[in-house]
Amino acid sequence: MADPLAIETTELRKSYDGAEALRGLSLQVPAGSICGFLGRNGAGKTTTIKILLGMAHPTSGQARVFGLPADAPESSVEIRRRTGFVSEDKDLFDAMTVGEIVRFTAAFYPRWRPNLEQRYLRQFDLPRGRKIKALSRGMRTKLALLLAFSRGAELLVLDEPTSGLDPVVTEEVLQAIVSHVGSEAMTVFFSSHQIAEVDQIADRVAIVDGGCVVVEGALEDLRERYCRVQLVFESDAPEPALRAPGVVRMRRAGRVLSVLCSAGAERILDETRVLNPVSAEVVPVTLKEIFLETVRAGD
Amino acid sequence: MLWYKSWLETRSRFLIGLAVMMLTAAGAVLVYPRVMKLLPLANTVDTSGELGRQIREGAELMRSYRGYVWGQWIRQSLTQMGTLFAVLLGSGALLSSASGSSALFMLSMPASRNRVLGIRVATGLWELLVLALIPALLIPVLSPGVGERYPVIDAVLHGLCFFVAAAVFFSLAQLLSTVFNDLWRPLLIACGVAVALALIEQAARGQWTYGIFRLMSGEDYFRTGHVPWLGLLGSAAASAVMLYGATRAIARQDF
Repeated sequence: MADPLAIETTELRKSYDGAEALRGLSLQVPAGSICGFLGRNGAGKTTTIKILLGMAHPTSGQARVFGLPADAPESSVEIRRRTGFVSEDKDLFDAMTVGEIVRFTAAFYPRWRPNLEQRYLRQFDLPRGRKIKALSRGMRTKLALLLAFSRGAELLVLDEPTSGLDPVVTEEVLQAIVSHVGSEAMTVFFSSHQIAEVDQIADRVAIVDGGCVVVEGALEDLRERYCRVQLVFESDAPEPALRAPGVVRMRRAGRVLSVLCSAGAERILDETRVLNPVSAEVVPVTLKEIFLETVRAGD
Repeated sequence: MLWYKSWLETRSRFLIGLAVMMLTAAGAVLVYPRVMKLLPLANTVDTSGELGRQIREGAELMRSYRGYVWGQWIRQSLTQMGTLFAVLLGSGALLSSASGSSALFMLSMPASRNRVLGIRVATGLWELLVLALIPALLIPVLSPGVGERYPVIDAVLHGLCFFVAAAVFFSLAQLLSTVFNDLWRPLLIACGVAVALALIEQAARGQWTYGIFRLMSGEDYFRTGHVPWLGLLGSAAASAVMLYGATRAIARQDF
């Protein structure tokens, strides 16, 4: 039976020369989901991806992909056989032509899909005979996607897939990902610091900050759970010590007290009633607000 | 396809090395008649000191065509340039791709690090073997053109001695390439080690009958006709240890 989790990490830690890149990162990505891995630069996104694909070794903790341990050499090869990967830099073998790197990559994957290869060569307008070093960044990204898509992979891992691309190519790339995933049964795990991208294509999100996952869940659930309680007072807003669970961040600006909470807005309203606010309302929040407030909360 | 990738990565170094070494081999054979005309002059120079000893030794070797080929090409061009190209072929493995940043793409493939490194090493050693044998075999092929004969078996044995000894520097460069993530440090350190060993060997000449360059030039075979099996085995073992070290280092490496 297929593992219900495509990716699972438990208390994952990684240090580079004493500097901690991951500090107990625990994450679950269900099979079949499109999970956006959101975080600031240096939050630990790329390190996590490298550990999942066996490119880096964890200092402690566990990482499993398809239920297989990512740190064991044999199972890592099996994980990579079932995974398509696009790195942030999209660096490929510059000495090869487009046609050569397609043949090179296809040789490693028994489930290579020549029909997809032909389709994406046409769709992305990639010239087979051109040297990779002569390709623009946008073309390299498209080629890297072609190589990842055509592997017949069950999991697609994309590290900042649109980094350094202009808006037109970014949109083209995102549409290609959405349309490919729509036609294939696969899991997508993609890192980004572009909130709009994650909002556009993900059905699940994990926000990482300082080497830990600070928010994780289905995007719809997060939108339902998270809200902002906005309280207006007659004079300067007080700074109450709220005991209600789920308070993510509280901000005062003049007469306004704003509380971002991840659960139980009603309890916050009850608790703040004694402060006699002039008005109190609960407003929905966007993914951008959730991201900004949760990563700021860690500062 | 890993073989093809390794070939793409090393072909320019290999082809340049092959061309240079073939040219020096051909040059050594073709200038032989002119060198022989100059040989009487060697008796007229002052033969005191180290320089004199070398001139005297050179003139002595040139009494035979076999000695000329060994003294002029095998002991000098083949060992010096061969060492350089062995280091060049050994420099740059999986890690040095990291300086070109394509290491992550390679590592995302379902191939173990040992397999990637193993094929890279095998490609380099195969190229080194060709560098050892083809220029050496050019000597017996071209020798009739200057009215001389050179035994094919000598060319093959000198080529093999060179290959096994040069593989030590190749392996050293491979090992260093798993430690440093650029092409230049492994290259410079391995070349520095080669120069240091050559100087030590030169200084200990006469007191010490072992040495990597003595083995590389097949001096024992040239002077006694015996193949230096012990030295060859020792060198092969040293190479194996360094290549094993490279696989261990690459297995632990974070990219």
